[in-house]
Amino acid sequence: MKTAPFQMHHVNSQKEVLSLLDQYGEDARILAGGQTLLPVLAMRIASPEHLIDINQVDELKYFGKKENFLVVGAGVRQSELEAWSELPKVQPLLQMMFPWVAHSPIRNRGTVCGSIAHADPSAEMVLALCVLGGVVVLMTKQGSRTVPAQEFFVGALQTVRQPNELITEVRFPIFDQTATFGFAEYGYRHGDFAVVAVAVCKVKNKWSIGFGGIDDCVVVHHFDASTLEEASNKVQTLTTSLEVRQDPSATSGLRRHLMLTLGHQACRQAIQTDKEDKR
Amino acid sequence: MNKSIVKFNFNGVLRQASCESRTTLLDFIRHDLGATGTHAGCEHGVCGACNVLLDGQIIRSCLMFACQAEGAEIKTVEGIAQAGELSDLQKAFNQHHALQCGFCTPGFLLAAEDLLKKNPNPNEIQVREGLSGNLCRCTGYVGIVKAVLEVAQARLTINGGTNA
Repeated sequence: MKTAPFQMHHVNSQKEVLSLLDQYGEDARILAGGQTLLPVLAMRIASPEHLIDINQVDELKYFGKKENFLVVGAGVRQSELEAWSELPKVQPLLQMMFPWVAHSPIRNRGTVCGSIAHADPSAEMVLALCVLGGVVVLMTKQGSRTVPAQEFFVGALQTVRQPNELITEVRFPIFDQTATFGFAEYGYRHGDFAVVAVAVCKVKNKWSIGFGGIDDCVVVHHFDASTLEEASNKVQTLTTSLEVRQDPSATSGLRRHLMLTLGHQACRQAIQTDKEDKR
Repeated sequence: MNKSIVKFNFNGVLRQASCESRTTLLDFIRHDLGATGTHAGCEHGVCGACNVLLDGQIIRSCLMFACQAEGAEIKTVEGIAQAGELSDLQKAFNQHHALQCGFCTPGFLLAAEDLLKKNPNPNEIQVREGLSGNLCRCTGYVGIVKAVLEVAQARLTINGGTNA
């Protein structure tokens, strides 16, 4: 459980990060919060020769509303965003999710962009980005590109990020006041990896539902429904028709059962918030 | 190889030592500073035995490299009471049989202090929730929860509603 030797680069600017990434590429990893990277290094699943510590890069420590997005820079810790007083109004789904993202000592270090970079299909941040239809901003020394969440994640712990690219920012779309959300998760201990997590985004009768933990990537579907019953029927159909993985932590049968019950729960939450708002 | 000097405020005292870049803050505190109150449990962030306060915020010292703590303020279990004395929380742990082997205790004490700072008057569910990032394999948690609830009430009485 000890990390293999590596060379640490403490940097102060994004420019330095990009030029180191350009120089070392595949041999370098970005160290942000380190809450998933350090276990990976300790178990020697990865042994990069260079680590680029971006914790002192102030220009990456920003978040806020920008046009119709909540933008979150690579230096923003999960606990900072969680504590933001406007979060419940700007991005209610993230507010619902944060208590489920590991535990507070982890959120005090872990970054939002780090979760996205790690691309665990059961991670809440990944689920949020996918179901809201967010965007990842990648930058190299030469320039930048934006990739929609659906194209960014290509497998478990796999993304389209190139070795010389830095995730500088992620963007979560902000919906108008008519949108409501629901979230439900099951794990073996609160804060552990989700066996199944379900997030719902509802705008009038247009629904998006995302399932985390059921396959190598988050699965998102869109449907129309005007009542809870209609939405629940759609969830039931998805539960039986989608591909669902089986592993030592849960059979696919258990996962399907959880998709159904958590799916109902998330849909009910979205409908109830809707009714409360109209009162 | 890749050694550097790391210097930070450790429980109110400026300490420094040389370490490799791959040394975690946990190993640095235990091996290089010789403060063994912080325990190495799972070493991948699950058990909470290595909790310390970094600039007032609770973190896992196994999930951070020592060289990243340069210039920071670190508080460990050794820093929560005067030498030779027990804090109110430690006394309550003793009274309520909140530890058996004691391996998880330093992490629980820091997690409980963090919880009481954020929520001075928690109910049982909130205490259990607040301590859910720490594992204890001896007690079944009942004594720990009782100890924390008792200290919360005692501090509220002393401070007239606010918590130190």
